[in-house]
Amino acid sequence: MSAAIAGGESSIQVDAGGRAHARISPLVALLAAILLVLILPPTLFLIHTSVHTMRPDGSFGPFTLQYYAQLFTSPYFAVSLRNTVVYAIGSAVLAIMLGLAQALIVERTNAPLRSSAVLLAILSLGIPHVLYVVAWLLLLGRTGPVNALIEHISGAAGELPAFDVYSLWGMILIEGIGFVPLTFLLMAAVLRATDSSFEEAALMSGAGPLATFRAITLRMGLPGLLALLLLVVIRGFESFEVPALVGLAGNVSVLTSDIYQSSHNSSTPNYGESGAYSVCLLGLVVLLLIWHHWLLRRARRFQTITGKGYRPRILDLGRGRFAATALLLAIFALVTALPVGMLVFASLQPFYEGLTADSLRRFTLDNYATILAPGSFRDSVLNTLMLGASTATVVVPLMALCAWLAARRRPGAWLLDQIATAPLIFPAIVMSVAFLQVFVNLPVPLYGTLLSVVIASTVRFLPYGMRYAYAGVLQIHEDLEDAARTAGAGAGYVFVRVVLPLISAALASCWLFVFLLAAQNVALPLMLVGPGTEIMAVNLFDLWQNGQVTELAAMGVLWVALMLVVSACFHFTARRYGLRF
Amino acid sequence: MKTRARLDCLRTLPLIAWIVAADVLLASGLQSLRVNVALAQGADQILLYSGPDREQRLIEGARKEGQVVIYAALIQNQAMRPIADGFAKKYPFVRITTWRADSEDIVQKAAAEVRANNVVADVIEGTGAGEQGVAAGIVQPFFSPAVAAVPEMYRNPSRLWAPTRLSYYGIAYNTKLVPADAVPKSYEDLLDPRWKGKMAWRIGSSTGTALFLTNLRLAWGEEKAQAYFDKLKEQKIVNFGAGSARTLVDRVIAGEYAIALNIFAHHPLISKAKGAPVDSRLLPPVASTAATMSIVKGLHHPHAAMLLADYILSKEGQSILARAEYFPVDPAVAPLPALTSVVPRIAGVEENFVGPDQLLRYTDSSEDIFQKLFR
Repeated sequence: MSAAIAGGESSIQVDAGGRAHARISPLVALLAAILLVLILPPTLFLIHTSVHTMRPDGSFGPFTLQYYAQLFTSPYFAVSLRNTVVYAIGSAVLAIMLGLAQALIVERTNAPLRSSAVLLAILSLGIPHVLYVVAWLLLLGRTGPVNALIEHISGAAGELPAFDVYSLWGMILIEGIGFVPLTFLLMAAVLRATDSSFEEAALMSGAGPLATFRAITLRMGLPGLLALLLLVVIRGFESFEVPALVGLAGNVSVLTSDIYQSSHNSSTPNYGESGAYSVCLLGLVVLLLIWHHWLLRRARRFQTITGKGYRPRILDLGRGRFAATALLLAIFALVTALPVGMLVFASLQPFYEGLTADSLRRFTLDNYATILAPGSFRDSVLNTLMLGASTATVVVPLMALCAWLAARRRPGAWLLDQIATAPLIFPAIVMSVAFLQVFVNLPVPLYGTLLSVVIASTVRFLPYGMRYAYAGVLQIHEDLEDAARTAGAGAGYVFVRVVLPLISAALASCWLFVFLLAAQNVALPLMLVGPGTEIMAVNLFDLWQNGQVTELAAMGVLWVALMLVVSACFHFTARRYGLRF
Repeated sequence: MKTRARLDCLRTLPLIAWIVAADVLLASGLQSLRVNVALAQGADQILLYSGPDREQRLIEGARKEGQVVIYAALIQNQAMRPIADGFAKKYPFVRITTWRADSEDIVQKAAAEVRANNVVADVIEGTGAGEQGVAAGIVQPFFSPAVAAVPEMYRNPSRLWAPTRLSYYGIAYNTKLVPADAVPKSYEDLLDPRWKGKMAWRIGSSTGTALFLTNLRLAWGEEKAQAYFDKLKEQKIVNFGAGSARTLVDRVIAGEYAIALNIFAHHPLISKAKGAPVDSRLLPPVASTAATMSIVKGLHHPHAAMLLADYILSKEGQSILARAEYFPVDPAVAPLPALTSVVPRIAGVEENFVGPDQLLRYTDSSEDIFQKLFR
């Protein structure tokens, strides 16, 4: 193994003082510079916010450490920290288990219908997150169909609901299920590029499918799995919608909702504590990344696309394939069909009163008429699609290049990974205020333009692009690149002609993934978009403030339908060019 | 391996040093960029002009300016667009553009523009936007003859803001869960043990829990209010953080909560008309608040801004707001007939107007009470 490390580290010399000198290639330096230009402003704003008070006009007051002190001395700190850890890890485990099961079936078996799973999973990514949470609250709420069913079966209709969604369990369930598409897509990217001949060898040697899974599949996918775990756990620490929408009403506090409460505890904006928390998280992420980086030193053991075969072979499950399909369908029902179905039902009601016999008799299309009336929704569709598409188009190639350099351990490239992952911990609200301050002060007229929103949302979704691309690159053995290089190709040629084609399928689905996330994002664009520029986020905010839940549901259904059409078009276009994902 | 890990840590140190250094740079950079905003030359004369040829002058000036920008907390399709359309019809030579957010974000965005000397907004509108704008020092006085139609109690003596629409707050209750004879008629009735754990109120907004507490403190005095809050605490009210006041009413309709406190009193009426099992009730003293509009310092279109302010306060503008289910500040313009039952002066229930300045001044201390008793 030490030999393997030496290969990647050849350009680092350690002098007598133990200091490392790395010759950083101009390309790495250029990319690092680009990333820093994007990420430094919000990062600095965040740090600055955490150590300064804020005046009513939004300018900074004197230096203070009070926000850090408040964070750790809050009477709720211990309880909230415990809840946060349980919530983040619980939802991550749930999301990864379901996502992994789905990815294994889709990538490794001959279960019928598996090829539609990606498209179906992506469907639920198209729902704006707040609406997704609302759909689950309708499903699991006191008068929702789940509780009605439980009461019907058990025959007991008590004062309290059988399942109280406003609890830590409810939060874990909603957040965990909401993240399944992400874990599925990322795990599928890892598995797709993993050579299955090791699994076949294990099966032939008499190991059962479970033992094979444990000893081979899980281990080979370990770096990818760990990176994913990291991503989802950190997201759990930073997540705000579920804690606010679900946790607060049940009096379950986590750190983000505590901070939300204290920042709204005054009449003037106060992001100090939120900033302090984010800075702490930033430190944690850096440590975790260093650890992950250390783990990946052994990554060579996991590289499985070699010069030989490349497409993983499919395991024939025999009759078991129908069971596998049933499991896929069950996951699909949980992740997409149930919440979307609930939105469809609510959108057809004049008012929402649970799923009762009465409610089945009152159907109306009024909510759709309200949303589709001449006005903002129609006008915002084009701008929103452009926002999503531009963001994805900037993020994906940039991150592909960075991921390749980082995975190949080019000197200094580890920095690219670190920088690109940092935005993960920015609270959307702090990030939008930071970018507002930056753009409004720039001498170039970027302020209020759609371009400025694209820049901000690029930064926001860098980490997702990075992880997706990284998973793809990690699996490609250097043999192929070495072969090209030996044949006289330069680094640029190798990247364009060898690496890109190998990871193009992963990048295509990465593009769609970033597109959907960027298009449905609300918190960030709201503050940055200028007067007169219509985007979906503003519509959603408007309805969130004044609309009835039935109208919100109609908006969600229309949005999902639109995203389905866009995804399907993209999917089939990609297929025509031979990209299957 | 250990050396490697340590090397990694060493490599992060320069990064941290970088960040600190750059932070200092940024701070000094922002400082130098912060140009003191002087009033645009003559803008205050235009804004405060009250001569007989005022309208003529404004129209001539607006023709040259050609546009006006408003940041408003008004609902887009039903209120802001009709206002913009009506204004555009009356003054076709002025292009009006709008930006929608809540009051806090509106003030924050406008304040960032004023400090950066890169002002886009001319007019800002929202509940609380007026006084927050005053506190941030980003608004300036203006005169509009239309303000004369507004009752004295809703006006600002220093003319830094003018009211645009009113809100009345009451309770929403589920008619299937709350029998007609048990509907609370007073704040005292809310203390009935049968409602324990069945009431919810909205947190995280200046017109949520803080307003409920501020209203009673102002109306009853601190001592009586405090004694009441101590008893109310026992009712274990659910702190609803999952959305707007409208969302909370929807949860009452769905049967999640029997009663919601301090919601906009007209929201339940709109759903009731569709057959939903919900109704609203005014408890005396009824809290009322006003949304206000202000003129931003350093604005680029003072003439057009004044025409827009006049238009929003005109009978025509107020009628548009009324049709969008808002309550006009001009008593001569009637609210929607279906909604008049929650106007305190029409319903004959005592009203306690919590002015924008009081709302701002009391919010922090009311939040403290909330944190201490109800969290």
